[in-house]
Amino acid sequence: MTLSVLLVEDDRDLRSTLGAALEVEGYHVACSASLADARARLNHADALPALVLLDLGLPDGDGESLLAELRRRGPVPIIVISARDGEGPTIRLLDAGADDYLAKPFTLGELLARMRVALRHRGTVAPPATTRYRHAALAVDLAGRRVQRAGQEVRLTPTEYRLLARLVRQAGQVVTHRQLLADVWGPEFIGHTHYLRLYMAQLRAKLEADPADPRLLLTEPGVGYRLVEPDPD
Amino acid sequence: MSRPAPATAQRLARGLVAWSLAWAVLLVFDERMELANKALLLVLSSAVAGLWWPAWVALPAGAAAIGAFNYAFVPPRGTFAVDLHHDAVLLATMLAVSWIVALLMARLRRVAAHERDHALRAEQLRELGDALRAADDPADQGPQLLQALARATQAEVTVQLAAGAPGLEARTIGRPPDDEEDAALRLCLADGRALGPGSGRHEAMGALVLPLRGRAGTFGAALLRLPAEPGERGERHAPARAQAQAHLQALCDQMGSALERVQALRHAAAAREAAHAQALRNTLLASISHDHRTPLATILGAAGSLQEQGERLSAAQRRRLADTIVDEATQLARLTENTLQLARLESGAPVLRADWESLEEIVGSVLARTRRRHPGQRFKVHLDKGLPLVRCDAVLIVQLLDNLVDNALRYGADTAAVEISARLQADALVLAVADRGPGVSAGDRERIFTAFERGPAAGGTPGDARRRGVGVGLALCRAIAAAHGGHMTVRPRRQGGSRFELHLPLQLAPPGPDDAAPAGPAP
Repeated sequence: MTLSVLLVEDDRDLRSTLGAALEVEGYHVACSASLADARARLNHADALPALVLLDLGLPDGDGESLLAELRRRGPVPIIVISARDGEGPTIRLLDAGADDYLAKPFTLGELLARMRVALRHRGTVAPPATTRYRHAALAVDLAGRRVQRAGQEVRLTPTEYRLLARLVRQAGQVVTHRQLLADVWGPEFIGHTHYLRLYMAQLRAKLEADPADPRLLLTEPGVGYRLVEPDPD
Repeated sequence: MSRPAPATAQRLARGLVAWSLAWAVLLVFDERMELANKALLLVLSSAVAGLWWPAWVALPAGAAAIGAFNYAFVPPRGTFAVDLHHDAVLLATMLAVSWIVALLMARLRRVAAHERDHALRAEQLRELGDALRAADDPADQGPQLLQALARATQAEVTVQLAAGAPGLEARTIGRPPDDEEDAALRLCLADGRALGPGSGRHEAMGALVLPLRGRAGTFGAALLRLPAEPGERGERHAPARAQAQAHLQALCDQMGSALERVQALRHAAAAREAAHAQALRNTLLASISHDHRTPLATILGAAGSLQEQGERLSAAQRRRLADTIVDEATQLARLTENTLQLARLESGAPVLRADWESLEEIVGSVLARTRRRHPGQRFKVHLDKGLPLVRCDAVLIVQLLDNLVDNALRYGADTAAVEISARLQADALVLAVADRGPGVSAGDRERIFTAFERGPAAGGTPGDARRRGVGVGLALCRAIAAAHGGHMTVRPRRQGGSRFELHLPLQLAPPGPDDAAPAGPAP
């Protein structure tokens, strides 16, 4: 089955390069140069695309309205493509429900990896809702509330476990500080980023071989955290 | 000068009350008092009335009272005749004492009033001076000068500030002047001299115009629409009036000097800003011409080769060209990031997105990033246990550390591991990147933090693509450190190589959640 991708990008060259590259990867790509065009395309299409790549800083806005509209219509994965300076709009879109982001300039390999993870999470190609996670020595079973490292049971405090579980549910994707604080501690703790720093340090100390050089619990500076993509089964 | 004293009518009334009380006592206790006592009582009341009455009331009043006393109490009573010799002496003494007391009291009052005026003026000058010193823009204190002048004279005041340095515009505070007043203000602004009543120029004018003088010019003028001279003021003699005017001028001059000071500061700031903007523009131009052209030329060459000769190249050659394009484009992206960030930090007040960050995470994300570019590179990382969180902009500190690591990879010895460490000093967090490269000579240690300077190693090997294009990297590190209130240093290492250090000021982190382990990596 060919998956359709909607690419919303105002730069013509980048649009055609990315479009061609994705076609080579087997996707069917529709392109829009503006939010208005993307909206029109969505309204006229019979079905939603399998994935949306949304560039920030389009001539007619930051895409928040398009995001809201897409979220009303269905669980379409949305990957935000952002410029590196100014994480503000990126974080806003992630908090509003975008699945992941990619900062310009990026390589095709990075884009394809993000798309793969996003498609898996939204259930288009594989069973949704990760309840088991395995990467290198780490194995997490959310159903059984078990965390193992190299076959050894790891004892986590309840908060550490909730934090890890939240990341596992979106493994491979970035989870913003705000989302983590709201889901693990509660909405009133948004802004207490220092809690996150402390608990991430504790989690890394228990799960990483070298906490100063983490390979599992990755930091996205200024945005949030990402649990590395699980090993393919 | 207005003074906080009872109005004339009230003062007259108080004197009258004193006299009336004395006369009431005299009349009621007439039978029971001796004449000498009565006389003393009268002298007392005359002295008391003198506390409030001006001399020109007190003197005739004293005379009249003694006449009445003679008529009413001195035998033969009911006439102005005096029988006894000593009674006549008594009356004369009473009159003399009461007059002397009245005169003394009047003089004392004048001296006190003068002192009060003096203190009041000093206080006003001090208040205005404080307000002007505290103000960023003394022009905003125009209303305060206006109030001070109005309080001192009961005049309706308009203050006109002249246009000056950039950002200082002409301004009128108070009631807009009519045509005649406007002409007077302009004249005063032009020649910096007072005009109007008491100034020696245009004495007939209804308003007094005073210049706001600085040392090198006039920075405005104040127009005082003096009220019509009330009767009491007629008595004020020329010296008092000159003093009052000198005080008003002192108030105005205080404002003038403050305006002058600010203008000088503004001029200096504008000049500094212009020089800074020029330097920044030069930096950006140099960055583009110096560092961006080479990778662009390489990319263009490789891409052109693919375009023109694609079919004739082997798969391995095509692959190599594609790799070159990706590598050089990545390098170009970093250069652009650095240049843009430096421009952002250097142009005015940078906005930091500061949060509580962990150095461990910052180091970790830089390592992850570097490993993608240099998969084989070895690192030695040592972070002290229990490092506190640090309040900073993570994106900037990551960029700083990324540049330091990149610098170490460029100039360090190929075989040696790059060392990254973080430790706690007395009042600073120190993040260090050390290499085993040729090191930085003592003379270059300051210079390399300026845009487009590099150590001699780079100059010595111009063909080495890996070692070109630090350009703004270390300058950006310094700008990022400065934006966080910290600083960068570079030191030679004992067995060769350099050690670049970022010193960040330490702040007290907020308390963690109750169930958290102590900060930092657990054992």
